Amino acid sequence: MTNEAVIFTQALTKRYGAVHAVRELNLAVRRNRVTAFLGKNGAGKSTTIKMLLGMVRPTAGEGTMLGKQITDTHQNVDMRRRVAYVAEDKPLYGYMTIEQTIRFASSFYPDWRTDIERKLLSDYELPLRRKVRELSKGMRTKLALLLAFARQPELLILDEPSEGLDPVGIEHLLQTLVAQSADGVSVFFSSHQIAEVERVADDVCILEKGSLMMDTPLDDLRQFYRRIDLVFPFPPLEREFQISGVESIRTSGLQMSLFTSANADAVVERAHDLHAVSVEVAPVSLREIFLETVKEA
Amino acid sequence: MLWYKAWLETRSRFLISLATITIFCAVFVHHAQGMIRPNWTSDFNRLLFFNQLYAAILWIMAVVLLGMGGIVREKAIGTSSLTLSLPVSRARLVGVRVGMGMIEAIVMGIVPWAAVFMISALAKMPILMSQVCSYVILLVGGGLVYFAMAILVSSLVAGEYTAPALALGIVLLAAMLFDTWLRRFNLWRLVTGDFSIDRNTFLLSEHLPWLGILTSVSVAALMLLASIIVVQNREF
Repeated sequence: MTNEAVIFTQALTKRYGAVHAVRELNLAVRRNRVTAFLGKNGAGKSTTIKMLLGMVRPTAGEGTMLGKQITDTHQNVDMRRRVAYVAEDKPLYGYMTIEQTIRFASSFYPDWRTDIERKLLSDYELPLRRKVRELSKGMRTKLALLLAFARQPELLILDEPSEGLDPVGIEHLLQTLVAQSADGVSVFFSSHQIAEVERVADDVCILEKGSLMMDTPLDDLRQFYRRIDLVFPFPPLEREFQISGVESIRTSGLQMSLFTSANADAVVERAHDLHAVSVEVAPVSLREIFLETVKEA
Repeated sequence: MLWYKAWLETRSRFLISLATITIFCAVFVHHAQGMIRPNWTSDFNRLLFFNQLYAAILWIMAVVLLGMGGIVREKAIGTSSLTLSLPVSRARLVGVRVGMGMIEAIVMGIVPWAAVFMISALAKMPILMSQVCSYVILLVGGGLVYFAMAILVSSLVAGEYTAPALALGIVLLAAMLFDTWLRRFNLWRLVTGDFSIDRNTFLLSEHLPWLGILTSVSVAALMLLASIIVVQNREF
């Protein structure tokens, strides 16, 4: 896994005083995949990204990005030539025009793709002569994305990339992400828009209170995670369902609802053994999985 | 292109400061010329010395303002993550900013005195080029430490008003403290030419206080080095 990983961390930790922003994070983001990085506000996503980019020093642990040590200043600079990063607040220099911003950014990347720049300028309808400070939030987001996509990175790190975009812009973004991935770009992005994540992600990592709760291919989530609703003729006992793969159990009167990450068949069999009068097994959405995961934590 | 960014960030402050100092010096010298008669040489030299005093005040305020900004300020306004994601080291970020600021500080030292030189020549009261050069060397060579101090303060303090207020406060306090207890080492007196002026002719001595200038430049270099270390170790 290490050789394939574009991002690899080992026990990566960031503490601010007594508060753990990130706690012993072991992350392996695979090459040529779209990896979603999910978590509630304050879960530690942005801190993790900042540690990867050398903006924040880890308290403990280590990590590599594209094979370069994140804590080594020189290696980090070298790595940043091959990584495009769009921060959550889409920072841009307000005193520059769009044209100046593009000229400025392109000067740092020899592989700058003028064709992509022109296409996105046209698609996003960005006025070249306008000052960045005069742009709407959506236009700023589009410009930030243009700067990231046109530099032809090996790894694209996006923090809430769709924030500020209208539905058309979001659709365009998702298509671009898929196209970038098909071109061999690894994408690592955080988002609160789980429906979007579900459309484009190959892998899903969930962070909660600084700890990694899940790092799984989305296909596996779809295949194995189930919601099982049971109705019994008598009040059921939760301990009867303490089976491997059962993540949570909720009981209300004669009804029981289970959330499983594996072994759904075993749960159904147990339910039948216990004379369940109704057994309903349903696949779960990523949204449900996310909510269950962060609730569990 | 980092130079271009540094220029865009500072050009308004620089151009306004340059125009202010140049116009002030030109008007001051031109206006005062009319009042000097008949023994004008000594009086005129005295006038030039006073011009240096006022120009130094404006120049120091200008270089302190030019030293503001940078990556710590960018953190406060939210653009630091863009700058720090560029494939350049923090030392280079600070270095380019310092380089641009120093060029602007030097230009702000030369242009006003060049204007004074030309106005004097046009008024048929020419001044020695060596005197002009000495004033510029004292102002820039001695005064770069003010710029370096501003860079250091802006590496430590992010506030839009806090940083310049603190930097200007340090300038004033240092001038007062040194004048009271360490007059010989008062940078203000070095910059204005007070240590080098002949009180009879009001001409600057041919022997500039090179040791003082060298010390000032060395202190400036140390402060700039400290700024780089501070920025390198800072978290964003």
